[in-house]
Amino acid sequence: MIVLFFLVPLALLMAAGAALAFRWAARSGQFDDSVTPAWRIVFDDDTDPPPPRV
Amino acid sequence: MTTAAVAAPRRRPTPADSCDHCGQPVAGPIDGDGPRFCCVGCRIVYETLHDAGLDGYYAVRDRTAAPSLQRRPPPEIAESGFAELATAGFLDEHTVAVGDGGARRVELALDGVHCAACVWLVERLPRAVPGVLSARLDLPRARLSLVWRPDETTLPAVARRLANLGYTAHPIRADGEASGRTAAERSLLVRLAVCWALAGNVMLLSAALYSGLTLARDPLLAAGARWLCLGLTTGSLAIGGSLFFSRAWASIRFSFAARSPALSLDLPISLGLLVGYGNSVWATVSGRGEVWFDSLAVLTAAVLTARWLQLRARRLAGDATDRLLSLVPTVLRKRTADGETMLVGPEGVVPGDTVEVRGGEVVPVDGRVVAGRSHLNRAVLTGESRAEPVGVGDEVTAGATNLTSVLLLRVERAGEATRIGGLLRWVRDHSARTAPIVQLADRLSGPFVAIVLGLAALTAAVFLVVDPAEATGRVVALLVVTCPCALGMATPLAFIVATGQAARRGVFIKGEATLERLTGITTVLLDKTGTLTEGTLAVVGWWGDDDALRLAAAVESRSNHPVARAVAARWPCASSADRVEEVPGSGIVGRVEGHTVAVGRADWVRAAGDGSRWPDALAAELDRAEREAQTAVVVSVDGVPTAAVRLGDRLRPDSAALVAAWRRRGLTVGILSGDDPAVVRSLARQLGLSDGSALGSMSPEAKRDEVARRQSAGEIVLMVGDGVNDAAALQRADVGVAVHGGSAAALVAADVFLTRAGLAPLAQLLDGSGRTMATVRRNLGFSLAYNVLGAAAAMLGWVDPLVAAVAMPVSSMVVVLSSIGQRPFGSEESER
Repeated sequence: MIVLFFLVPLALLMAAGAALAFRWAARSGQFDDSVTPAWRIVFDDDTDPPPPRV
Repeated sequence: MTTAAVAAPRRRPTPADSCDHCGQPVAGPIDGDGPRFCCVGCRIVYETLHDAGLDGYYAVRDRTAAPSLQRRPPPEIAESGFAELATAGFLDEHTVAVGDGGARRVELALDGVHCAACVWLVERLPRAVPGVLSARLDLPRARLSLVWRPDETTLPAVARRLANLGYTAHPIRADGEASGRTAAERSLLVRLAVCWALAGNVMLLSAALYSGLTLARDPLLAAGARWLCLGLTTGSLAIGGSLFFSRAWASIRFSFAARSPALSLDLPISLGLLVGYGNSVWATVSGRGEVWFDSLAVLTAAVLTARWLQLRARRLAGDATDRLLSLVPTVLRKRTADGETMLVGPEGVVPGDTVEVRGGEVVPVDGRVVAGRSHLNRAVLTGESRAEPVGVGDEVTAGATNLTSVLLLRVERAGEATRIGGLLRWVRDHSARTAPIVQLADRLSGPFVAIVLGLAALTAAVFLVVDPAEATGRVVALLVVTCPCALGMATPLAFIVATGQAARRGVFIKGEATLERLTGITTVLLDKTGTLTEGTLAVVGWWGDDDALRLAAAVESRSNHPVARAVAARWPCASSADRVEEVPGSGIVGRVEGHTVAVGRADWVRAAGDGSRWPDALAAELDRAEREAQTAVVVSVDGVPTAAVRLGDRLRPDSAALVAAWRRRGLTVGILSGDDPAVVRSLARQLGLSDGSALGSMSPEAKRDEVARRQSAGEIVLMVGDGVNDAAALQRADVGVAVHGGSAAALVAADVFLTRAGLAPLAQLLDGSGRTMATVRRNLGFSLAYNVLGAAAAMLGWVDPLVAAVAMPVSSMVVVLSSIGQRPFGSEESER
C-alpha cells in the first residue's frame, strides 16, 4: 500500500490543477451568466437571407 | 383594384398608419383603404387568419394579451436621452478602450429583452450597424456589452437602432459598487469550488479511516491519512471558513461596541468549526482520539454554497436598479449670447442662463419661460395627468416633459439644486443607508448560542465529576453536531427559490427581509397616474357618428398635441387632411375628403360654428366630462357639431380586481395622488373605495408624510407607485413596490419591482410571501429539532465522527429539498 504515498499526492496535484482552471474561468467571467450561452449555442451560423419574394 | 382604391390613391404613410397585424409602423407606400402591413410576413399571417374566418383573433388578442403584444403606436423615442450617450463625459466615465484599434466597450441596460429570440436579434447588431464590432447580451440581467468604433458610428445611432427593434437602452452606473458586486461573487465562487474540492478529498480519505484503517492496524498509513486530512481541512478553513470567522468576530465586536448582543449565525458556525478543528488537530498530533475533519470540510462548503446562492439572487435584483438616475437630462441646450445653441452638461449652466427645450424633450432645469408657448406634462413630479399650457413668465420645473413646441427658459436652479434633484438625492441617501437586514435565522442565533454553550458547560461539568476521560470528547461532539449548518441554509434557500419563482412571474424582490415584512401588511396605498391608470391620455368615451370621428382623427393625426395623438390612435384613418391649421390652446381645423373639420374645445368650436343648437346628447357628454374631471373635445363637420370625445387617463384593466382582492383580505386600501382631487375621487368610486381614502393634490413630500403618519398609527404600509413623485413614499413605506415602466428613482427606492406591465403580478405577492415564510419557519423548526436531538445524543455519548458525518449532510438535505419543493407563487403550469 506504500504506493498510496505517491498516488494520493498525485491525485491532489490534479485536483489543484482543476481548481486553478476553475479560478481562471470564474475570474474571466464565464460563470456570470448561466442562461444566455445555453441559448447562443442553438443559433444557426449567419447566412445571407434568401432573396426577397413578392 | 376597387373603386375605393381609386378614391384614395397611392400615398405616403403617416405615423398614424400601423400594421393591421402587428401594429408596427408601415414603411412602404400605401394603396387604398384596405388592410395595411409592415412586411410580407404580417400580410401572410393576416390573410391566413382572414381566409379561415378567424378575424376574431385580433379582438381577443387586444383584449387579453400583454400590452406589449397589442397594436400600439410606435414607441416615442426620446432623442434627448440618447444625446447623453455621445457626450465626452459619458465616454470617459462609462466606457473603456478595447485593443489598440480605437474600439471602446460599454455596458448598457436593455429594456424589453425577454427570450432567446431577443438574444439572437440583439447579437446581430454588428451586421446591421457598421462600426459595431460585437454585441453580447446577458439575458437574465438584461445587460448588453457593446464594442464599437467611435470613429465609424456613435452610441446614439446604435441606441436608436435598438429602439427601432423595440429595445430601449439605458446607461448603467459602471462605478465601484456594481463591479465590486461582480468581483465579490466571482471570488466567492472560486472559494466555493476550492472548498468542495478539498471536502471531496477529505471525504475520500475519511472513508478509508471509517472502513477500518486504524492507527492500531496500520500506523503509518492511518497517520498519513490523518495528517493529509489535517492539511486539506486547514486549507478549507483558511479559504472558506475565514469568511465565517471574520464575520463572527465582527458581530462580537459590534455587540461590545453597541452594548447589546447582536450575534449572527456565523458565531455558532465558527465555534463548531474551531472547536472541532482544534480537537482534531490535537488528536492528529498526539495520535490519540477521534478526528472530525470530513464533517468540518463538508460543513464549510455547504454553508458557503448557501451564501453564494444568496449573493447571486440578490445581484440579479440589484443589477436592475443600477441604471443612472437619468430622469433629468444630463445634456442641456444652452443659448449663448450670440443666439447659438450648444450642448453642455448641468454644470455648464448657472442661474440666469437661457436654455432651449424642444418639443418631446424633458425640461432639464427649474426656471421661467422667457419665450415660446407649449404644453407641459408634469406627471413625473405631480402625478397630474392632464397637459398644462405654459407661456412666457410661467414657472417650470425639471422633469416635466415639453409636449409640443420649443420653449426658452431662464435658469433658476440646475442639477441637484432643482426640486427633483433634491428628491432624488433624498432617495439615494436613504436607500444607501437602509438598516442591515436582520435575518430571522440571525435573530434566533443569539438564544441558540446561549443554549448550546450552556449545554456544553453542563456536559463538561457533569463529566468532569463522573468520568473526566469522556468529558472532552462529548463536549466536542456536542459543539460539532449542533453546528448550525441546516439553520444557516434554511432562510437563504427558501428565499432564493421563492424569489426565483416570483421573478419568472414578473416580480423582483430585493431582499429577504421584504418577504418577511410583506406577511404583516395592513394597509396598501396606491399612486394613481401610471399605477392604477395607464398614465397616458386616452379616449374613454364618445358620442357621435363614426364617420365624423374618423375625419376628426385624420385632422388630429397632423398634430403632436396629446389629445390629438389619443384621438388619432383610437380611430386610425387612411385619409389625409390638408390645409390644417392649429390654434394653440383651442383646437385644430383642416379639410378632409372635401369637408372642413374642426376639433377642439367646446367654446372654440361653438364660436367657429353656425350658431345652431347643439344636440342634447352632445351636451350631456360634455357635462359628464366636467363631472368626471376629464378633457372633452367637440368635432364639427362643415360647421355642424356632430361628435364629442371624452379623454382621460384610463384605469388599468386589472386594477379593480386587485383592489377588490386586497379588500377581501381585510386590508385598508387608499390612493395617494398628485392629481386633481375630483379626478382621484371619481377613480376611487370606480374601484369601490370611499372618497375619504382617496387623497388628491399630494406633493411628493406629502405622500411620504402620509405614509409616515399611517406607520406611526401602527399600520404596516405597502406603497405601490411608479414615478419620482412616489420615490420618497416608496422608500418610507415598509414595503415599496415600483410598477413596470416606472422611473429609475422608483426602482432604486422600491423593495419590490414589477417587470411586466400591469398590476396582475402583484396579486400573488402577499399570498406567495406568506407561503415562503411558512417554508422558512418549517425549515427553521426542523433544523432546531435536529440540533436538540443532536445535542442530546452527543451528551449521551452516541455521536462519534461517523455519525456526525452522516447526520449533518442528511439534515441539510432535508432543508434543501423542502426549499426546492415549495411553490409559493404557483406552479409554472397553472399560470399558462
